[in-house]
Amino acid sequence: MDFTANYDMFLNEEHDMLRQTVREFAEREVLPHIREWDRSGAAHGEGPETRTYIRPLIEKMGKLGFLGICMPVRYGGAGMDYLALAVLCEELERVDSFLRVVASVHIGLNSMTIFQWGNEEQKQRFLVPQAQGRKIGAYGLTEPNSGTDAGAMESTARRDGDHYVLNGEKIWISLSDIADTFVVFAKTDPAKGNRGISCFVLERGMPGLSTYPLHGKLGVRAGNTGGVVMQDVRVPVANRLGEEGEGFKIAMTALDSGRYTVAAGAVGLIQASLEASVKYAKERHTFGVPIGDHQLVKRMMSHMVRKMDMGRLLVYKSGWMKNAGRRNTRETTLAKWHATVSSWESADDAVQIHGAYGFSDEYPVERFLRNSRGGVIYEGTRELQELLQADYALGHREIAPKLRCELPAYNKAEWEAE
Amino acid sequence: MNIVVCLKQVPRDNSVAITAQKSIDASGIEMITNLFDEYALEAALHINDSLSGAVTVLSLGQDDWVDQIRRALAMGATDALLINSDAEYDVYTAATILAAATKRTESPQLVVCGRNATDDDSAAMAPMLARILGWSHVTYVSRIVAASETTLELERKLEDEQEIVRIKLPAVISVAKGDTEPRHPPLLRVRKFAKAEIPTLAVSDVVATLPHQPQLVDRVPPAARKSGEIIEGADVASKVATLVDRLIADQAL
Repeated sequence: MDFTANYDMFLNEEHDMLRQTVREFAEREVLPHIREWDRSGAAHGEGPETRTYIRPLIEKMGKLGFLGICMPVRYGGAGMDYLALAVLCEELERVDSFLRVVASVHIGLNSMTIFQWGNEEQKQRFLVPQAQGRKIGAYGLTEPNSGTDAGAMESTARRDGDHYVLNGEKIWISLSDIADTFVVFAKTDPAKGNRGISCFVLERGMPGLSTYPLHGKLGVRAGNTGGVVMQDVRVPVANRLGEEGEGFKIAMTALDSGRYTVAAGAVGLIQASLEASVKYAKERHTFGVPIGDHQLVKRMMSHMVRKMDMGRLLVYKSGWMKNAGRRNTRETTLAKWHATVSSWESADDAVQIHGAYGFSDEYPVERFLRNSRGGVIYEGTRELQELLQADYALGHREIAPKLRCELPAYNKAEWEAE
Repeated sequence: MNIVVCLKQVPRDNSVAITAQKSIDASGIEMITNLFDEYALEAALHINDSLSGAVTVLSLGQDDWVDQIRRALAMGATDALLINSDAEYDVYTAATILAAATKRTESPQLVVCGRNATDDDSAAMAPMLARILGWSHVTYVSRIVAASETTLELERKLEDEQEIVRIKLPAVISVAKGDTEPRHPPLLRVRKFAKAEIPTLAVSDVVATLPHQPQLVDRVPPAARKSGEIIEGADVASKVATLVDRLIADQAL
């Protein structure tokens, strides 16, 4: 059956066509190779720098218009809405998480942040080539000694004339060795805590900026994750995103976009687990019947369906709010929490349904299980999302605190104008 | 150079299910562009990348084929023509219609077909089109080596060898799966052609009288094969003895 049918309260024909286009791309360009690519990332010393498929693949995604999916045509984008970004992420992660990660960091965390906070000159200089896929963007918030507690970051930015001098290290940076531009955060005034953080766009080639790959990851092995080292990197003031001291707010709004893509991708991952399970449950026989006839196997699949549909509805609600220009931090974190935890549970059930075969990479479900685990940690841990939801319910957290720059509401005519 | 690409819609192989009554379950069939026609379109677009001109997608089929035609436009085709009919034709009749329709396009110099259609598998369309149009033809093209306004240099991948063939235009070629994968349609073009009106003609608009078609008189499935039998016995020796007796009884020995 078509698990994506009957969402026309949110989606239109264009989204359906997008889904078809992305599905064809991912199934043709990646699916035949993914087991080999995933294995290549497992071996130490076989780092992403040796994995030659990543950049050409991202370039293809750029040429097809995926990398500027929800950006206005005048900024080099495809002129579609924020729901289209969700459809893109679902379909990419349905094949492998590393593809969706490209969308998350390049579009969600980097480009959408520049779109929301950048001035016109910065949009022309950074957003246009990124939306066209000519330049690739990454995002650097996490450091070796600070993750959820972002305010504890140690990176610094010291003003020196019309430049800032940045020092520090960012880690767990997706596409660290691939990206051309990095939206990073550093303290311009360490004494002020969260209010002393500022945001900068760094460009590869700036003296003192270097990257390295991480090895031995549990999942997303086909992708590139690494570190960014800043040693006296001189960054022009024109590359500062937003005002000095506005960095923490910018980082959090970036996560509103990033978490949305992670949530949507996780829905695609649940669907992948479900589809693999349905296929296997019809083929595999035990006790004289297909295993799909056994009630406990049925239960695992029905739970996947419940989690997938709930996840999809939460994601589309969040996308609908983005389109309408409404703040959606509560809804997006809820969608991200539900969908990522569910994608882990569903992949786990999919492995169980596959029995011993699920324990081998002969079938894709063990990869789904490994890939799903990261989403429960990155871009806000499961525990952080739980605390946020309780705080919203208790009234301890403001639903829509005022921001100087909001993510622009989608306007079809404006987005499609040349 | 103006190129015509013949595009056929076929059932996706793995979507064809058999009903309990042993007939084909039409409800679950997903229709897609014939695989080799995708390679044909890619070859045409490849030529058009260097030589400017029109690439017209030509189909003989039903209204619902427009989705695949729109997709071909999104991939880069410049024009389309649907000869609307839900009748079933034999290859010669279909070739007669497509040849006449080709002449309706503006100064066509080249017709590109897929090697064969994955449903009827005749592989006869390209040679028949060439015969009817009176043009040269080359089959099993795996790569366009060089193209000019008057000639094509083509690689044919055969079982034991590769041939390089030079051909003068106008011509008909059939394309096999080559090294160049069909391009994906970019999103902006997918959206641009999403609701494009596809120019449509009736069969009677292009051919006044159709050739006489063979009539299907009867269809008989092959006789079912007898299932095998496992010979039982207490030990190998007695099983072998039973087997030999049976083979003699069946006059197989």
